[in-house]
Amino acid sequence: MADATAHIEQHDQPGFFTRWFCSTNHKDIGILYLWTAGIAGLISVIMTMYMRLELMEPGVQYMLLDGEPNGHVWNVMITGHGILMMFFVVIPALFGGFGNYFMPLHIGAPDMAFPRLNNLSYWLYVCGTSLALLSVFAPGGNGQTGSGVGWVLYAPLSTSEQGMSMDLAIFAVHVSGASSILGAINIIATFLNMRAPGMTLFKVPLFAWSIFVTAFLILLSLPVLAGAITMLLTDRNFGTTFFQPEGGGDPVLYQHLLWFFGHPEVYMLILPSFGIVSHVIATFSRKPIFGYLGMVFAIVSIGVLGFVVWAHHMYTVGMSLNAQAYFMLATMVIAVPTGIKIFSWIATMWGGSIEFRTPMLWAIGYIFLFTVGGVTGVMLAQAGADRVYHDTYFVVAHFHYVMSLGAVFGIFMGIYYWFPKMTGREIPEWAGKLHFWWMFIASNITFFPQHFLGLAGMPRRYIDYSAEFAGWNYVSSIGAFISFASFIFFIGLIFWSLAYGRRTVANPYGEGADTLEWTLPSPPPAHTFETLPDFRGKPASH
Amino acid sequence: MTAAVENDPSDPLYDVTLWPHRSLSPRGFRLVMLVAAVGVCIPLIPILGTNAAWVIAGFLLFDLALLYGMLQLTYRSGRVREHVRIWPDRVQVERIEPNGRRREWSANPQWVRVELVDTKRIEKYLILASSGREIELGAFLTPGERSDLAREIRQALANAVSHPMPQGSQ
Repeated sequence: MADATAHIEQHDQPGFFTRWFCSTNHKDIGILYLWTAGIAGLISVIMTMYMRLELMEPGVQYMLLDGEPNGHVWNVMITGHGILMMFFVVIPALFGGFGNYFMPLHIGAPDMAFPRLNNLSYWLYVCGTSLALLSVFAPGGNGQTGSGVGWVLYAPLSTSEQGMSMDLAIFAVHVSGASSILGAINIIATFLNMRAPGMTLFKVPLFAWSIFVTAFLILLSLPVLAGAITMLLTDRNFGTTFFQPEGGGDPVLYQHLLWFFGHPEVYMLILPSFGIVSHVIATFSRKPIFGYLGMVFAIVSIGVLGFVVWAHHMYTVGMSLNAQAYFMLATMVIAVPTGIKIFSWIATMWGGSIEFRTPMLWAIGYIFLFTVGGVTGVMLAQAGADRVYHDTYFVVAHFHYVMSLGAVFGIFMGIYYWFPKMTGREIPEWAGKLHFWWMFIASNITFFPQHFLGLAGMPRRYIDYSAEFAGWNYVSSIGAFISFASFIFFIGLIFWSLAYGRRTVANPYGEGADTLEWTLPSPPPAHTFETLPDFRGKPASH
Repeated sequence: MTAAVENDPSDPLYDVTLWPHRSLSPRGFRLVMLVAAVGVCIPLIPILGTNAAWVIAGFLLFDLALLYGMLQLTYRSGRVREHVRIWPDRVQVERIEPNGRRREWSANPQWVRVELVDTKRIEKYLILASSGREIELGAFLTPGERSDLAREIRQALANAVSHPMPQGSQ
């Protein structure tokens, strides 16, 4: 019962600083996440360009110190690329960005359950990103700057790496973990308790479901990582021996803890894009998604299975045969719910009136590439075969097909699909299609040859390789440079469209787009559903 | 939203209580906490007996407590109540915040206007206005519920105005 006049004044347009730096609005925070993730992504991609340049030809040409090959720089680059991509690019973009912006809209919530906490999550994430970047320049191991231990921070390498760079990296992961847990609980509370009247769980659109399951994965797995890296920190600085064999600790224990977090982590990366792809395919096939209930249960079971398969990342550490057999079987079971999703997407397109707009191209490309990554995943799941594949470029190719070509295609798909909604302007169709084909072809040139390199036995994580691997490495590097050019084109395209893109309408996609966000003006007003929408008696949408 | 219209002269002619919708049932809440509690046990099983298990258990327990507390907070924020009561000579709106703070607004039914405004941001914003002071009502309801509420209040105000005044022995 606030005075209405005072209340209305409160809703006036805030100034730039108030809007973007003190924001509690889920849409503004979503956009902030997307921008920050974009900047971190650009930095991370530039690191890979440096690495691909070095790998273009055998021998060490660029990463030199006093004319000698400098492996430390290579290790720092690989660590920086991994940490940035895993913690500060993909999850913040998909979960923090699109999740924040669209999940409340999809369930008809006025905002997040805790708007100010949402702001805190964002700024903790910015702090984490800054710490991660600082760790590259802080004094580190080998008398140089930066720490070169890989994104997994395996002990005992991470406990013996000198300098404060390693500690900064651990703090970066800590802070981003705190940010993710607060964000996840916020999303769980919103999804569970703020749904509009009549919006029952099985009417919730699939994107909101995927965000909710992702939030639950974060909730249950991140405390394990936080605990593990806290022990790393005390091992490094306070003389504890959790992971030091000489003090009764166990370095393999760290690997178990890391991967108990790490495997759900890769599902956190990919699940939100499952949600986006469902919406895009339903929209541009002009059909409701095939098998909605099956899709929901597939997401949930992928989430559950993600918690019981972690040790397939570490078949070679000397586990018992029974443990390996269990993890191998459990891992292959994941192909079932994933298959349900892939086939349901295809069945949605079947008989639909398909329109090949830009987001649809990304969606179809995504399904194809994710399936390739999934199939190599089933190969890698075999404990016996993994003896050969382990730590080769085959693994690099596999996880880049799932993440670089899967999750990152998901981000681009989301941007092309929702750009008109978020900004009120359109990206020119020809430019979006050009970007798709450009990136699709170039990234396949980059990563497909890495399968061959891996099968031929090229080990990962090295600055150099023997001359037999030269051919495909050259091809892969050329592909990487062309991909990078497409990324630069995309950045230009976004700025151009923000400034000069054609103005759009509330729903530019027609009747196929039937989720709630398309009923709002583009861009939506600052407070959507201050008034709760009512879903009683309405069927489930996709 | 419940409504009861009474004709007893000492009781209000119209009495309604409004509260925000919360979609998680108490049973659903217990289920979520159960799933989370089972979930946090999974990582502890393979590391039982190590020193590290205690550290991890601490983090997981804190996490579980955080989830519990935050969900409780969403229930708490849902405890806002708005009571609207209309007598022949008085309209009273009382808002009780989750922390128990009460705010009251009252006016003469002869002078109260009920307005449903479609503002740029809010559909069917419900305003009660009298003698220069406006209040919002049911900002947490759905637009449909707000228009129903507006219709009921208008009807009740009309009844109140035409109702014989409760003077003396009335």
